[in-house]
Amino acid sequence: MVVTAKTADGKEIGKEERHYHPQATNCRDTKEKYGAQWKTANIRDTSIQPHKPKTETIEFDLPEGVRSADVTVDLFYEAVNPDNKYPIHTITKKVSLDK
Amino acid sequence: MKFLTLVLALVFLALPLTASAEKAKTIDELAKMYDSSSCKSCHAEIYAQWEKSHHARSLMGVKGGLMLTPLALKKGQPGATAFSEDDPKKMKISNFPCFKCHLPQAITSAEDSVAVELAEALLAKDSAKVAKLQITCIVCHNEKAIIHKRELGGPEKGVLYSSKEVKAHGDATFKTVKKSAVMKDSVFCGQCHGLGPNLEFDQAFQCANLYGSYLHNYVSGGGTQSCQDCHMKKGDHLIAPNFNDDKQTSELLASALTLNVETLGYEWLRKAGTYIPKIVVSTKITSNAGHRIPDG
Repeated sequence: MVVTAKTADGKEIGKEERHYHPQATNCRDTKEKYGAQWKTANIRDTSIQPHKPKTETIEFDLPEGVRSADVTVDLFYEAVNPDNKYPIHTITKKVSLDK
Repeated sequence: MKFLTLVLALVFLALPLTASAEKAKTIDELAKMYDSSSCKSCHAEIYAQWEKSHHARSLMGVKGGLMLTPLALKKGQPGATAFSEDDPKKMKISNFPCFKCHLPQAITSAEDSVAVELAEALLAKDSAKVAKLQITCIVCHNEKAIIHKRELGGPEKGVLYSSKEVKAHGDATFKTVKKSAVMKDSVFCGQCHGLGPNLEFDQAFQCANLYGSYLHNYVSGGGTQSCQDCHMKKGDHLIAPNFNDDKQTSELLASALTLNVETLGYEWLRKAGTYIPKIVVSTKITSNAGHRIPDG
């Protein structure tokens, strides 16, 4: 999931990522492994599990003089490598500090 | 006594030959042994679904990859694995532990020569040859159909197993269809779609954990649907996702995951007279899948 904040003219003022997936090593060193033949067991699991919603709170400080931002949240799935993406949801919201 | 000794010697000599004769020596022989193309004439729709499925390309990766190639690499070569040999001609069925799920018929029905041929095909990037090895109809509807073998015996030759019995099945080889006790249950899929590390091998490895997640996160939370309920609606044998179909995969994921986003803009009072303009983005992803995402 990538959360991006941009000014009205498209300048990026903040970006954060969250990665949800099980992470395994070969249990002989501390490097994460990709591929069944390399992995022995999960050491960390940030994946999205049934009955357990994932919630995040992400904060961006706005630069001086900026009173609003367009926030886009992209949720996508990556298979095999980060270039092979399957879009899931994209939500954009305009956030203003003015009432 | 001499006669008896001679008979016994002949029997012992003949046994391995008999067993050997029943096993495939080449990829083509193994593919032919488990060929399901005769199913197509009566089950055209199901067959067409299966042809697009990952079961039909169980040794291929996503989008045409040859995922077993690292095992075929020479030992010591960059990218080689603990299962690799210093010569592809030394490869055996046991050098491909992935066969446990990706080609279970190789374990029961193939000679080591099939492993050698596969290793050479992988190194030669011969996708067409590798693609001949599949999880065919016979693998699920015979080979993997019985999990209570001590009570029920192993799968019988010439018999298919399904969710319902068909006494007279119009096929030249498989003339009967018996009811499988587990084919509609998640445990049937769980045979391959993983609990976690495969610790029964001399070099433990881990592939899918999906069935483990189903048991320990979905069922434990009160979930009652089976794998088949969601992934085989109306008997669909595509058993989505099909990662070669981007649009369909995105749609399936969107139906499984809900994203809710809330935002807030305000000026944070860090200390007297110092306001920091800030936006807060709250996200919530909810899954209605019966297993972790991602997994396989």
